[in-house]
Amino acid sequence: MSSPYAIRLAVVDDDSGFVTVLAKRAEAAGWQLRTVPGAIPPEELVAMKLNALLLDPGVLGEEAWDYLEQVCGMLPDLGVLVCTAPTSVGQRVRGLRLGADDWIAKPCHPEEAMARIEAVSRRHRAAKADLDVGPLVAGELEIRPDRFQAYVGGNSVDLTRREFELLEMLAESTGRVHERGAIYQRVWGYAMAHGDRSVDVFVRKLRHKLEKRSPGWTYIHTHFGVGYRFDPEPLAGGEPLAPSRSQAFHKLDTNA
Amino acid sequence: MRLSLMPRDRTFFDLFLEAGQNSLRAAKLLDEMIGGWPDSRDLNREILKAEQEGDRITHDIIRRLNSTFVTPIDREDIYALATQMDDIVDYTEEAADFLGLYRIEAPMEQAQALTRVLVEACENLAEALERLRDFQGLEHYIIEIHRLENDGDRISRDAVASLFSNGIDPMVVIRWKDIFAVLENAIDATETAAQIIEGIVIKNS
Repeated sequence: MSSPYAIRLAVVDDDSGFVTVLAKRAEAAGWQLRTVPGAIPPEELVAMKLNALLLDPGVLGEEAWDYLEQVCGMLPDLGVLVCTAPTSVGQRVRGLRLGADDWIAKPCHPEEAMARIEAVSRRHRAAKADLDVGPLVAGELEIRPDRFQAYVGGNSVDLTRREFELLEMLAESTGRVHERGAIYQRVWGYAMAHGDRSVDVFVRKLRHKLEKRSPGWTYIHTHFGVGYRFDPEPLAGGEPLAPSRSQAFHKLDTNA
Repeated sequence: MRLSLMPRDRTFFDLFLEAGQNSLRAAKLLDEMIGGWPDSRDLNREILKAEQEGDRITHDIIRRLNSTFVTPIDREDIYALATQMDDIVDYTEEAADFLGLYRIEAPMEQAQALTRVLVEACENLAEALERLRDFQGLEHYIIEIHRLENDGDRISRDAVASLFSNGIDPMVVIRWKDIFAVLENAIDATETAAQIIEGIVIKNS
């Protein structure tokens, strides 16, 4: 049975035959697969918004164990599967204890690898759903990750998916200045090309929509030459009973 | 002063003047469109109109060329310059079209730099075409167009190189590489037009 979710998978493996067949099957299943040449930093894996990482430690050599520990430690939501040539029991136990979710010995059928990736992703998704808390509230704004939308007084701000992801990313770390490149990496999932104005254009669109629905507040602040900061502030004369910044932003617990 | 025993149709110069103004208009519209993208997408219609106007001017020049016995400058030069002026507007329209077709989300600074170079090159070309009938006072504009084309080459090369940094979305690379190439073609076309004008001046002065 194929997965009902489009899994985003990164593969660190130099076995071109295996990767080619896996990529074809993954594409047919509607997955997004990216092959990466080596030990890609965990921050870049975050930006790729992956569900799973398929890793052959043989590609990384001596660094493989450290890398596995680092990735599993820093990205607990990421499903990590090791797929490598037959190894000793000791090595398999070590890998699983470092945080790998599954260990597959080569040669293995790509269909079996995909099934295992699906199983790991399913478990992670279920665990994440249990942990997810309710909407974020900032100023007059209610940000609902479950609906990919933001609301003011119950009215939708009509954000596109990209605009919502940008708002959510900025609002999750209110008060902090984010550089344009870092914003692009987190929201678009890739490195930002030099000269790309995407972040500025989407911040402009987002501001416009927020101003329309919540004219008494300002939410996104520009730091010239650096980037943007999310910090809800009432405009002078806009909101007489405006809460302070610490009051203006809090996370609601829907279970409360 | 060169004497002519046959009457010469001077309308060609008026048509080239029109072609120069039309290419400048298209370039300015593209510059405005890229600078304001994606809010400026409606300008594409205006650029398309300029492209159709360019076709009309080229058609008028060629039709007149076919029906005129004695031309004020060599026939092959008239034909080459007319088609080159048409190419500038065609490439300009192609670049504008790509923005929509490739679903570009936001402009790139390098694309804005290239359209500014294109506008300047077209301004110089329009000035040169205004002086073509006298075959005098064009040198400055032609030199300037060569300089601008070199600037365009440098910006375009740097822009393409920057796309090949690690970790950039391959779709971004494909889209912008094509757009940079078309913008460079438009700027190159202004230089080719300047070279044709230079040849006409040498033959007729």
